[in-house]
Amino acid sequence: MALSDTEIERYSRHLLLPEVGPAGQEKLRAARVLVVGAGGLGSPAALYLAASGIGTLGVVDCDRVDLSNLQRQILYGTDDVDRPKATVAARRLRELNSEIAVVTHALELRAQNVASIVGQYDVVVDGTDRLATRYLVNDACVILGKPLSSAAIHRFEGQAMTYVPGRGPCYRCLFPDASAAAVASCAQAGVLGVLPGVLGAIQATEAVKLVLGAGELLVGRLLTYDALEMRFHEFPFQRRPDCAACGDAPSITAPADAAAACEDDTPVLRRLSPRELVTLLRDVERGGPPVRLIDVREPAEFSAGHLAGAESIPLAELERADWASPGQGATVFMCRSGARSARACAIATRHGLREAAHLEGGLIAWAAAIDPTLRVA
Amino acid sequence: MSCTVRIASPLRSYTGGAASVSASGASVAELLADLDRSYPGIRFRMIDEQDSIRPHIRVYAGTREIHDITERMDGENVLHLICALSGG
Repeated sequence: MALSDTEIERYSRHLLLPEVGPAGQEKLRAARVLVVGAGGLGSPAALYLAASGIGTLGVVDCDRVDLSNLQRQILYGTDDVDRPKATVAARRLRELNSEIAVVTHALELRAQNVASIVGQYDVVVDGTDRLATRYLVNDACVILGKPLSSAAIHRFEGQAMTYVPGRGPCYRCLFPDASAAAVASCAQAGVLGVLPGVLGAIQATEAVKLVLGAGELLVGRLLTYDALEMRFHEFPFQRRPDCAACGDAPSITAPADAAAACEDDTPVLRRLSPRELVTLLRDVERGGPPVRLIDVREPAEFSAGHLAGAESIPLAELERADWASPGQGATVFMCRSGARSARACAIATRHGLREAAHLEGGLIAWAAAIDPTLRVA
Repeated sequence: MSCTVRIASPLRSYTGGAASVSASGASVAELLADLDRSYPGIRFRMIDEQDSIRPHIRVYAGTREIHDITERMDGENVLHLICALSGG
């Protein structure tokens, strides 16, 4: 179907470009792009994709807007605090471009749902803040043959790469396994607010080029950006024949959750829901075996609000801890959203702590399900 | 031979926040040993007990990927240490 008069006016600057033109704009309109994570990276990426006229834009995010998000997550405003990100993002994107369809997926991507969601789209833009999800999305894209623009940020540094099935390496070729990395999140390490703007815009650019079939992509090239020094670097990397996802004999033939995919040397990663933790703590009050609560967030986050009786041991300290005597009894690790505590739980388990568990969904889930007065920084 | 070593953001806690530092050595192994003398503990974050580069780290001499730390710099004077990032 030809572009309408409104579309011709809206996209006039695109139509002037020979690389886009009316045919390219129709391709953009017909395209379905999934943005995983409507946070720092996903916000600018989704805004530019919507403005560009991507016909169907999917947004995956199960989080709610937090005041601390607003320094960089430009999809949201002050009035949106505590509202579901996916819902607010969809409204904002539709305001920006009423010609497009926005599909919300207010859920956490897991092994059991990732293929059915990714499978609905032509291109995936990964802006997640969890390494486990980053690998899950990569693996799903490899298995389903979907192109992927992936980026990540830390303090003043960002990275971006693009995967195109059959044309180059995937994220696992770049970093085969990051489960041993004490890779801090933005909540732990901080991040310059405008940094994800640069990387998210690069991701949107790659997605648009993927749809158009124009230009050179970041395939087999890792682009790094240091905002403090204002330097870009580019590093070539190749497909690994032994890659677990896209190699000659891949061992990952179906998407798997973090415990299996990223922490496969962890015997058991026990998760407790907030209600299960309540039950456990009630048992303690009734004379049951003691439970040690360890909050692995940074001290500033801990100071803002924490569970009664919890000890503060930041994840970085836990990494360096002397595990000669791992201790006995149950220990429950917790953090803001469950990523760091899962890592802590895996470390503790590997060091011989027999009854280690972590609070699934973190203190955000606790505040939502048990105690809304808990301040989660 | 003195080289500039560019430090990945997650490893800058070892270098007092410095993005670039100097180290001496003809091979990557020598450079990393010298780096570790100046910033104790940083090598172990990148290199395992078998002297292999950890799977969340990439090392480049200029734009040449280093697969084995015994490789020599061969005239390159910048060693890039790159680490997987998780933030989004």
